[in-house]
Amino acid sequence: MRNNTKEADGKGFPLRITAVEVRVVDNPDATNVGQREIDFVKNMLPVLDWPALVQAASQLGIPTLPPQLTEQLAQDPAFLQALYHILMNVHLVKGMLTCPASGREFPVTDGIVNMMLEEEECERVRV
Amino acid sequence: MSRPELSGHASIFYNEREARKYNSSSRMVNVQREITLRAIELLLLSPDKASYILDIGCGSGLSGQVLEEKGHIWVGCDVSRDMLQVAHERIDDSFDGNNKNVENDEGSDEVHDPPLSTGDLLHHDMGTGLPFRPATFDACISISALQWLCYSNSASQNPKRRLLRFFSQLYAILKKSARAVLQFYPETAEQAVLISECATAVGFGGGVVVDYPNSTKAKKHYLVLSCDRTSSKQVQQSMPSVEEQTHVSVSAASRKGIDKPIRKKKGIKTKEWIIKKKETQRKRGKSVRPDTKYTARRRPTKF
Repeated sequence: MRNNTKEADGKGFPLRITAVEVRVVDNPDATNVGQREIDFVKNMLPVLDWPALVQAASQLGIPTLPPQLTEQLAQDPAFLQALYHILMNVHLVKGMLTCPASGREFPVTDGIVNMMLEEEECERVRV
Repeated sequence: MSRPELSGHASIFYNEREARKYNSSSRMVNVQREITLRAIELLLLSPDKASYILDIGCGSGLSGQVLEEKGHIWVGCDVSRDMLQVAHERIDDSFDGNNKNVENDEGSDEVHDPPLSTGDLLHHDMGTGLPFRPATFDACISISALQWLCYSNSASQNPKRRLLRFFSQLYAILKKSARAVLQFYPETAEQAVLISECATAVGFGGGVVVDYPNSTKAKKHYLVLSCDRTSSKQVQQSMPSVEEQTHVSVSAASRKGIDKPIRKKKGIKTKEWIIKKKETQRKRGKSVRPDTKYTARRRPTKF
């Protein structure tokens, strides 16, 4: 799911998610997230577009994310663990991603999003 | 082996049958593994940090498997839906708890062996640009995929345009000071030059590292790119060590008998050699002509 929220189609970001089937993997040791993973999430925080992530999570039926990311929250290990779980263990199995700018749709089947473009749809590059 | 690139589009070549074959061939798996390990080595990632890595042309996820073992988190994209399907099945298995076959490296009791597969998949053609936000990835690897961009499968596809688009977007989505290692099989020297030209044209620093340069079969080209312009010097500094490794691997290869160094023809029967030979014969009690100024002297040519 994480990547789905991050993909941009030209200026179209974030992609709107229409979920048909969502799979949340129950990790038996969800609380047992190591230091390595926490460091990873800390590293990812500047990369994440927080409002977009919150929007994506609610589209997938997870309304638990706080609307604002505060400094204090970014230091809280419990929060980082929960975030890691959301980023890594929630998968969109079937559904549709829609570009808000162009309306172009990218279908998701079996957890793989189809982002194939035609040559005409691509960015122009001067050779 | 004929080149699959010539037979048409990658998604056509890697159909369902080919994809299954690819993953069940132990030779293929080993080769891919070896290349991936080498690519990770060239990335100079810090081993105790989980990095976010883009795998371009991930195929059936063989390289992703190696990345997982190293504790990294990856996103794979490939143009062949059937290959992705194979990768997806493996990832699904890991969620169902069948990940017992993921072997731990002997002796490494590190905690970060991820119980679940950390990969994500994307069906996508790298020649049409990369659909990610800028400065997202810590690193990028690509195993045996880049050469596909050198071929056009329809009139609208221009290899150079596709290469430039790919590299400029790759440059954008990598974080500052990130590295990309792209292993590829160029058909001709011109292809290798074209690829590295396109890479430097968009601002990348770095160059091509060749492993096993004098073997046709084991030869591997790695395009090592670095985003940071200021670190291009550092890349050059690190290059000699890379070359050293290359030499080591070459000697290892010759020991295996993959390729033998060409023996110098000149100077086998030199004067020293003949005198030494005569000395040993004398020690054995044979009657040997004494050493004179005529010993080992060239005879005049007849004409």
